[in-house]
Amino acid sequence: MPSATERVAPTGAGRDRLIAGFAALAIAIHVLEAALPSPLPGVKPGLANVITVVVLLRWGWGIAAWVAGLRVLAGSLLVGTFLSPTFILSAGGAIAALAALWLAQRLFGRWLGAPGYSVCAALAHMGAQVLLAWQLFIPHPALLKLAPFLLTAALVFGIVSGVIAAIVLQKLAGPEPARP
Amino acid sequence: MKLFRAGDLVVLAAAAALVGASWAALWSGGGPAEFAVVTAPAAAAQTLPLDADTVTEVAGRLGPSTLEVRDGRVRFTDSPCVGRLCVHSGWLDRSGQVAACLPNGVVVEVGGGRREFDAVSH
Repeated sequence: MPSATERVAPTGAGRDRLIAGFAALAIAIHVLEAALPSPLPGVKPGLANVITVVVLLRWGWGIAAWVAGLRVLAGSLLVGTFLSPTFILSAGGAIAALAALWLAQRLFGRWLGAPGYSVCAALAHMGAQVLLAWQLFIPHPALLKLAPFLLTAALVFGIVSGVIAAIVLQKLAGPEPARP
Repeated sequence: MKLFRAGDLVVLAAAAALVGASWAALWSGGGPAEFAVVTAPAAAAQTLPLDADTVTEVAGRLGPSTLEVRDGRVRFTDSPCVGRLCVHSGWLDRSGQVAACLPNGVVVEVGGGRREFDAVSH
């Protein structure tokens, strides 16, 4: 069930321009965030999530998936982590987040707003990353003991970016925007 | 349009419950060490009691690592790796501490009672 704020996505070149524009925005946030120091390895605000949620609620899941996929790919090329473990974790997290968003929209789209989607995506992203890191890179149970910390951080940052996304959607919800 | 919709609050409650459950399931407090669990690539995990003073050799990928147990503590005394980070980790005496020789694939974790540390790195 699509949400009330969703518009009919353009097709053809208009759709490509829409995807490219939002992907560029998400990549910029991704790169800026990579430059921030992190108190704990694996904890990032994940503000690029804001873009994914805004696009999901405004243009639908298909375009959101394109934007998130391009962000992971181009972001990793720019930061220099392409095909490294970081990239695998990043891609795995993004796939899990998109799957969670798809499921949430299918099942509960009627009742959900940006914060709900954002929290679902953040927890799915972090959960997948912890499991992937544990399975692929550090198969030691000590890693799982970090999971509560990481999931708590994901919950907090998910709420924060969800509220930001809700504010952005509110601002966008005014008159029909100029088509990019 | 409000920032939060009804479903968002339900999702938040469910997410908080999930995170709380992960703390309950995966987190544990601290305390003195009672035993050491040794993980090596070739063999199943092996438990070393810490109440008897022993010296144990554990076969790793590169060769034998030597573990010494004394006064309820355990340490690596030798390992066939470069750098000997595991040896420099020193004695492990608090539940939850870990020393690992990654090149050799040997990991020692002490456990027991209430755990004070999740993991300790140097």
